[in-house]
Amino acid sequence: MNSTTASKKDKSPVVPRAAEIVREYGPFGGDGSVAGVTHDGQRVWAATGTRLVAFDPASGETTRTLDCVCDAGTAFDGTYLYQIAKARIDKIDPASGKVLSSIPTPGHGGDSGLTWAEGSLWVGQHRDRKIHQIDPVSGAVLRTIESNRFVTGVTWVDGELWHGTWENDESELRRVDPADGAVLERLEMPRGANVSGLESDGADLFYCGGGGSGKVRAVRRPRATKA
Amino acid sequence: MDSLIAASARALAAGDALGALKRVALRDDPPALALRGIAMAQLGEHPRARELLRRASRGFGAHEELARARCVVAEAEVAMAMRDFGGSPRALAAAAATLDAHADRANAMQARLIAARRLLLLGRLEAATAALAPLDARDLPPSLAAVAELTAAELALRSLQVGPARAALARAHQAADRARVPALLAEVAEAQAALDRPAARRLLPGGEQPLRLGEVAALLASDALVVDACRRGVGAGDAWRPLARRPVLFELARALAEAWPGDVDREALIACAFNTRRPDETHRARLRVEIGRLRALVAAQAGIEATARGFALKPRDAREVVVLAPPIDGEQASLVALLSDGAAWSTSALALALGASQRTVQRALAELEAEGRVRSIGRARAQRWLAPPLAGFTTILLLPAALPIE
Repeated sequence: MNSTTASKKDKSPVVPRAAEIVREYGPFGGDGSVAGVTHDGQRVWAATGTRLVAFDPASGETTRTLDCVCDAGTAFDGTYLYQIAKARIDKIDPASGKVLSSIPTPGHGGDSGLTWAEGSLWVGQHRDRKIHQIDPVSGAVLRTIESNRFVTGVTWVDGELWHGTWENDESELRRVDPADGAVLERLEMPRGANVSGLESDGADLFYCGGGGSGKVRAVRRPRATKA
Repeated sequence: MDSLIAASARALAAGDALGALKRVALRDDPPALALRGIAMAQLGEHPRARELLRRASRGFGAHEELARARCVVAEAEVAMAMRDFGGSPRALAAAAATLDAHADRANAMQARLIAARRLLLLGRLEAATAALAPLDARDLPPSLAAVAELTAAELALRSLQVGPARAALARAHQAADRARVPALLAEVAEAQAALDRPAARRLLPGGEQPLRLGEVAALLASDALVVDACRRGVGAGDAWRPLARRPVLFELARALAEAWPGDVDREALIACAFNTRRPDETHRARLRVEIGRLRALVAAQAGIEATARGFALKPRDAREVVVLAPPIDGEQASLVALLSDGAAWSTSALALALGASQRTVQRALAELEAEGRVRSIGRARAQRWLAPPLAGFTTILLLPAALPIE
């Protein structure tokens, strides 16, 4: 990882680039908004308030729906889905849709954005501009990263920590330094394309929940480090 | 939006205000305050709702002007439901501009609609018409379109344009139907019913005939010479002479019209115009002067001829003479009829128009206000009296779409 220059806690502004939206999916019904997204290797899952909707990113067709409360971030650990509902995180069996266990959220309901990485859950705390790493069994906070923007989606890919922001109708995808929260890269979403929920597919794409638009947008992940 | 805000907003959207409140009851961050404010507004706790919305709009950061603008609009809506007109129209206009800049057209239109309704309720009808004109109801979401059409209908009714009022009400009905808001449909039905209620009486030699608003408008538009004791004026064809500020002339016109085609003797005219039973020569001289003034005013439509015992009305071109009176007798009915033009009247103007003392008028107004049939704005010398809106829509809260979240 090329982090020799970026890891310095300098205040030099990172010049934003325009995000490249590859494709849009949805809306999917539910209450008409998308509050969280995740990717299980084949399908994309979108939290739509009262239903988790899985769709095939190639065809865009809905392949599965689970009735459950889903107010904010969604994550997948390889076997189970995790879903923020009110002030708790439900662990859900994607096969049966059953809630297997629940832990309290670190932000007591002020949470937005959830991802799984390295055996931990990472939870965005919206207006407090924080990302918490928590123990997926106990819910205990292991550490906290401070951002300088509202957090509305979190994802890890190739050792990079990305989060979505949404303030005043303006949204960005931001890569931050997991050590100190310093902003390393900014992708500016077009106006009106707001981000609520973020997940990488592990390769070239990010999937972004589109809030009240009810859409999920696929955004190309920049490969600046390889260039 | 975060998880509890999302859950609360979902409950609110489903009409569960208490459920929405429960989820954010202990939170004081701006989106939670805004949601609590809206929930309280829907529960009818308007003062508390306004306070919460104010705190929310103050709490949003410099980078959250969109959310703040929505709070300002919601607060204005709540203030209107409270009939509190103390707020600043400039703040609302600024919020509308912000919402426009963020392409939130529906809420920007709502802000402008609130401004127009506010002017209507303040009796500033011309300003209200001007504010409403640029809003195209076809571009609005159905519930807002219904309110815009109700406002247009009310403005048309106040100026007795019954045809346009009916058309606007029909469009309001369609929009309310699409919006599927029962309260709105009820308001439209209520306004439509107002069109069919007696709005005036036509006094005939052998009795009287109740008239609906449409019939009043038709009479005023006809060729007849109409002496209208509801609006205090004389009209014929396109010409309308308001005599609310000239009570003596109006009383003379009314007495002559009621006697038409006969004449009225001088003593009777003096008694009704000058309020005296013992006339002397000065009264006779004044009567000649006032008749001369009235003659000049109605010269195009009618002549006033002296007869052996008094005066008689002689309409030109074989016109008919019609006398309209308020639907029921009495001081209160006359007041309500005068206020039905929708404009804001001062107590002194009402007293002058009715030829009654200010004290009498104040007493009648106080009784009417207690019954909710008139309302006042301002205090002391600035106090003005208004008829209540024909459509009660001002109490329906149409809070901004997607308010607190995002």
